[in-house]
Amino acid sequence: MTRLIGTRLAAFVPTMFVVSVLLFVAVNVVPGSAARSALGIDATPQAIARFNAAQGLDKPLPVQYYDWLKGAVQGDLGTSFQSQQSVAPEVSRRLPITLELAILAFLIANIIALPLGVLAASSHQKKRDTVISFFASLMGGVPNFWLATLLIMLFAVEFRLLPAGGYVPFTEDPVENLKTIIMPALSLGLVSASLLLRIMRAGMIDVLSSSYIQTAKAKGASTAVILRRHAVLNALTAYLTVGAVEFGFLFGSVIIIENIFSIPGVGSFLLVGVVNRDYPVLMASALAITFVALAGNMLVDILGSLIDPRQVHRRALT
Amino acid sequence: MNTFAAATRIGAFSQTWRDVPWHRYRLLAIGGAIVGLVLFSALFAGLITPYSPYAQDIVNQLKGPSWDHLFGTDQFGRDVFTRTIYAARISVEVASVAVGIGFFGGAVIGVLSAFFGDPLDMVLMRLMEVVFSFPAILLAVVLMAALGTSTFNAMMAIGIIFVPGFARLARVSTLSVLRQNFLEVAHAIGMSRRRIIAREILPNVLTPLLVEAMVAFAYAALLESALSFLGLGAQPPEPSWGNILNEGRGFVYQAAWLGIAPGAALFLTVIGFNLVGDGLRDWLDPRLKD
Repeated sequence: MTRLIGTRLAAFVPTMFVVSVLLFVAVNVVPGSAARSALGIDATPQAIARFNAAQGLDKPLPVQYYDWLKGAVQGDLGTSFQSQQSVAPEVSRRLPITLELAILAFLIANIIALPLGVLAASSHQKKRDTVISFFASLMGGVPNFWLATLLIMLFAVEFRLLPAGGYVPFTEDPVENLKTIIMPALSLGLVSASLLLRIMRAGMIDVLSSSYIQTAKAKGASTAVILRRHAVLNALTAYLTVGAVEFGFLFGSVIIIENIFSIPGVGSFLLVGVVNRDYPVLMASALAITFVALAGNMLVDILGSLIDPRQVHRRALT
Repeated sequence: MNTFAAATRIGAFSQTWRDVPWHRYRLLAIGGAIVGLVLFSALFAGLITPYSPYAQDIVNQLKGPSWDHLFGTDQFGRDVFTRTIYAARISVEVASVAVGIGFFGGAVIGVLSAFFGDPLDMVLMRLMEVVFSFPAILLAVVLMAALGTSTFNAMMAIGIIFVPGFARLARVSTLSVLRQNFLEVAHAIGMSRRRIIAREILPNVLTPLLVEAMVAFAYAALLESALSFLGLGAQPPEPSWGNILNEGRGFVYQAAWLGIAPGAALFLTVIGFNLVGDGLRDWLDPRLKD
């Protein structure tokens, strides 16, 4: 077990390295546009050249990456072209906000998906299953940014219960914090819930049709005992594998949801970087989002092998 | 032909007609109808609506739904129904090309890595893993920021995202085909590698890829709208479901209808393609059902 966690952690570092290389190449693939964006349209060629030299943008890409990496390992993610402020403190100030949103959304998704998935599977091919599955499929097609728009129309415009945007820190006012974060979290969580629900249902149906469940039924175990003691944990294995990927997806979607609700997290910072062509901002926030997505993915995966020790042996063999 | 034979033939026909397990194709039929509707809108938008998606009408700005304007008008007096119908065009366009890029890129990478094995296999699959590990929307946004906003770039950015998924699937399917006896026979009768790939492997790999393509299409339409919503995809005044929704955000208090129709259209498209994907899978491989 410790070895599995060790290998996973050890594999994480090179993965992050390759990820950072790819992101750096993607961000810097079109040279020159940053200067125009920072200096304005009527900047002289001399001013642009001076800007590029000052920011090191005139060096070859591998050298630029090396300079960036040298700073990054020391916690320096560069200085914003636009605001001239250091980027790393800004990212670490915004990251907890995004984490709060994503974790609440992921909790909502699981709280809905787990019980309803079990319920649907245990009434497989009955009306209840059909109804639950139908709504789950419908929900899975709802774009999260449309759901966000609809929620705003309903709860902010129509009922005037919740603010349409903005963010209040938890330490300032827990109730207001929840009010500002609940709609964004629902927009992300409800859509994820539908996928997770379908996975849980399929996993449960699979487990419930296996022979050891038949044995449990034959020896007279009640449905509740069968579900609780024999079925749910086994179905969770597949669920957590998908859940790990889904967390990454959900965490990427904060870019769009934070933008809609004006939440000052990493996602909206990324968009600031995009709009201003502010490479250091873009690079740092994209890296932070990918880092958390991958770390969350890894954690859920490790949780999966804690629940199902068979995975450890299977992986040790391959 | 005597009447008896004709009668039995009709009887046989209606018998087979009844024997077709229609409930098995229900998903495919519903999905197909929705997809057909979306494609029809994209191709023949001008036949469905009398208005132009760009025609402004200063007198009728931000008017609610009426018989003249089914889904109301926007801040320039443009007909929202018309813009929603025309927006299917950009969605279908971007999604088709993006899925095409993912499909062919993935098929080539997957088949080659399975066929030639290590070290090519290891290198390509590691690369695919890393690309896959990025949250899709993040990768799309970063690529759009770097490449610049244009419809073509949106196709490229979204297409790249799909390559790893198709590559994995193509690789796994190729590996399972490679274990089949008929491949040994193909080798034995002296078929060239290229011929084996083209004649024996590709046809067997295409089926699962086709199912994946439907699901990818739904997701591509979603990503295109997300990019346009963020102002990184189709640029106004060209209508896209994403940018109509985005423009509508500014008028959520006066004109809520701006936020309904385009979102519903996108929702229908996603559901339609997902249903066709599910239906195709059940049809092609009934064992996988439930």
